[in-house]
Amino acid sequence: MRKTLREPALVLTLMVVIGLLGFFVIYPQLRVVLVPGLAGYVEFFREQTWVKPLLHSLQITVLSTTTAVTLGFVYAYAMVYSDMPWKRFFRLVGILPLLSPPFVVAASYILLFGPRGVISYRLLGQSPNVLGLGGLWGVQTIAFFPFAYQLIADVLSRSDPSLEQAARNLGAGAWGVFRTVTLPLSRPGLAAATLMTAIYVMEDFGNPALIGGQFTVLPTQAYGLISGFGDLAGAAAVSTMLTVLALLLYIGRMRLEGNRSYVTIAGRASAMPRPPVPRQVTWACFSVCLLLSLVLLLVFGVLLVSALVQAFPANFAFTLRHFDYVSARALSLRNTLIYGGTAAIICGLFTVLLGYLVQRREWAGRRIVDVVALLPAAIPGIFFGIGYASAFNQRWLDWLDRGALITISMIFWNIPIGYQAAIVGLQQIDRSIDEAAISLGASSLRSFRDILFPMLHSALLVGIVTTFVRAVTTLSVVIFLFTPGTTVATITIFQLINDFNWGGATAFTVAVIGMAVAVLVIIWVISGRWATVQNMTSS
Amino acid sequence: MHLAAGGVGAALVGRQGVARAASGKISVYSALNESTNNAFVEAFKKSVPGINVELLPLAAAGELQTRIRTEKDSPKGDVFIGGSSEFHSPLGTEGLLLPYKSPSAANVGPIYKDPDGMWTGWYLGIFGFALNTDRFAKELKDLKKPVSWDDLLNAAWKGHLTLPDPVKTGGGYIYIATQIFRFAAEAMAASPGAEQYAIAEDKAMDYMKKLHANIGQYTGTAPQAIQLVGQGQFIGAPNWSHDILTAKSQGQTIDNLNPQPTGFEVGAVSIIQGGPNPDGAKAFVDWVLTKEAGALNVKLSNRLSVLKDVAPAPGAPTLDSVQLVPYDRVWATNNKARILKKWQAAIS
Repeated sequence: MRKTLREPALVLTLMVVIGLLGFFVIYPQLRVVLVPGLAGYVEFFREQTWVKPLLHSLQITVLSTTTAVTLGFVYAYAMVYSDMPWKRFFRLVGILPLLSPPFVVAASYILLFGPRGVISYRLLGQSPNVLGLGGLWGVQTIAFFPFAYQLIADVLSRSDPSLEQAARNLGAGAWGVFRTVTLPLSRPGLAAATLMTAIYVMEDFGNPALIGGQFTVLPTQAYGLISGFGDLAGAAAVSTMLTVLALLLYIGRMRLEGNRSYVTIAGRASAMPRPPVPRQVTWACFSVCLLLSLVLLLVFGVLLVSALVQAFPANFAFTLRHFDYVSARALSLRNTLIYGGTAAIICGLFTVLLGYLVQRREWAGRRIVDVVALLPAAIPGIFFGIGYASAFNQRWLDWLDRGALITISMIFWNIPIGYQAAIVGLQQIDRSIDEAAISLGASSLRSFRDILFPMLHSALLVGIVTTFVRAVTTLSVVIFLFTPGTTVATITIFQLINDFNWGGATAFTVAVIGMAVAVLVIIWVISGRWATVQNMTSS
Repeated sequence: MHLAAGGVGAALVGRQGVARAASGKISVYSALNESTNNAFVEAFKKSVPGINVELLPLAAAGELQTRIRTEKDSPKGDVFIGGSSEFHSPLGTEGLLLPYKSPSAANVGPIYKDPDGMWTGWYLGIFGFALNTDRFAKELKDLKKPVSWDDLLNAAWKGHLTLPDPVKTGGGYIYIATQIFRFAAEAMAASPGAEQYAIAEDKAMDYMKKLHANIGQYTGTAPQAIQLVGQGQFIGAPNWSHDILTAKSQGQTIDNLNPQPTGFEVGAVSIIQGGPNPDGAKAFVDWVLTKEAGALNVKLSNRLSVLKDVAPAPGAPTLDSVQLVPYDRVWATNNKARILKKWQAAIS
């Protein structure tokens, strides 16, 4: 603590960061949380209408988190360890589920697997009831595995091959190495992935709303309270409940992680290759990735086909007319690109800095900031939006450009995932590396900028990519903030869907996804070059 | 950037009392269908030159209602248009609407407008039934097409129906209220008395409970139910007739039926209290209530106008062709939370 105080630049940075979090995360949420008042909370909890949704939420969180994290781990392992083919393609597939504008993708699942779905009924002759717990579990597993995959892959890629080689040389088999070295060292990644996935599943609104059927969870109940009863107070109470659950998960994660060291980067870069993965394992990995890709290609394929035919599934005549909507509403597409892109870069940089301040520096209250950086994940988007609208739609703030406010909301709503990636990354880097720089006279911030920041390049990438994709596809956060000039693509899709214009909505979705994929490819190419340059200069 | 600045400018002008004549720019929060919005605004601009319209489209009246609430410290909208009056009247009670009795509202029947002028009705939507004609002809060929809401209780419909969730959608709630008023009218005819509402309420809950057995899915938005029927995932869905006709015109194999007696909504327009340009807003409301605007909306959205001299859309149900329940809007609004809780208990 005293050491920290001796560096004015560090203290200033800390104050700015805490100020921003306070103003853009805590303050708007307080506006929501305080709505019910004490009497409101007492009444809400006495009525007990929340009991069933709570149990449902807990049930689906356990189920979906387990399968999503398992799938994410397998996917990450396959990408980092195995030498399976088509890795570039699978890298894109691993992010695709996050690129799901609301309504459209869920509708696609129903078209494929619903009571009269193309696959379920026309191909298999089954008329399943996918709308309920089972369907929701399946869809959420696919929807949320990318979070787990990205965090775990990031950790695995930074693990030290020499440890595994050592285990191998000491006589351990492939399974033995996995069980005694790979798995334990990925524990911080697994813990972060489980925590993040669980929280995102718990606050998920879109999938339960469209696939959940009668299976009401807390976020859908909250939404029902707002739109059906006009009961902002009851809804705010539900939102508070979700926040408390997230805190419990946070505490659980601390237990899971324990007090061990997970350092795998201790100074000298290891030039050693990883011990090879057995062929059967590689092919098993390949099969899992391929199967998942097939499902996703089907789901997104339906959208592409819908965009190119007259009226799916009634009339399959080819047409390009639906794409007229894209050119007519190019403004919303452009806004989405600008807001999402800006938010992604700022959020990525901010979270790495935040991770450094919390994980490396000692100061009072860093545990609190650690929790605050997690909170936005636990807040359903609709409440994040309502909080922003009521906190910042004020006369004294009318000078603030609405596009800027939307961008800010996207930044702070997406802090958790980039932050977790940064924290986990830092846990793997030995403190002696940056401390050496400091004892040689560098300031804390300089050691961060010159030493740690370049090493956290992949964590930064996780933050940027995830924020971009989520910003591009969010509807609920923006719905209370957009203005005619700052409308975004998801609003347009929502409008077209509600106008029974499935063709137009899918054409627009195809445009959004196409644009986002192009941006991702550019990001990966640039970061790939950058990483290569880094490696060359360091070796 | 210029948009926000423009809003502030307009607010300042309004407060200083310079802009008395209707001019400048108005911001319209619209819950109308996307395909209606643009043509509607263009027609207004042509008819009332000098007022520019900035349209904030969001085809979800509940969200617009919430938005107007959250913006109350610095209102950005002038006009709230579309969505049934149930979404407007609570805002009026909370003091968020500017009362205005337009001269053109004289032609609007008293049951279609708020006595204090908080909102004015300008279109009607009739509750109908979306039927997937293909699947009905193949799978339920022994069944007659439903002519009353009671016909949906037939066990042959089991799992084939989808209904907008009454808690999450205005339409779903209007469906329950319709059943209450239907049973109330029956009971009143036998023996008039206020206690008949309570009896009708129990009958309606019993009806909804039986219907629940046939429902495969409650949807989060009303249009989603029509989409599912259009895709053939389900065979039928109680829903808005005008939306069913719109979906049909997009190429779906569905038909609109009108089981009777049925319920209806009054689509409203209102002025937001403290908005940047109240004079412009009044000019807009005046225009919305004209015959010209009414006829255009009928053409664009298949809805009915509240004005008697506006002809209905081809194929659309009318007040003369469909028997309506005695829908008590005030009672339905005041008892909403209680009825919905009762319904949730009845089906769980």
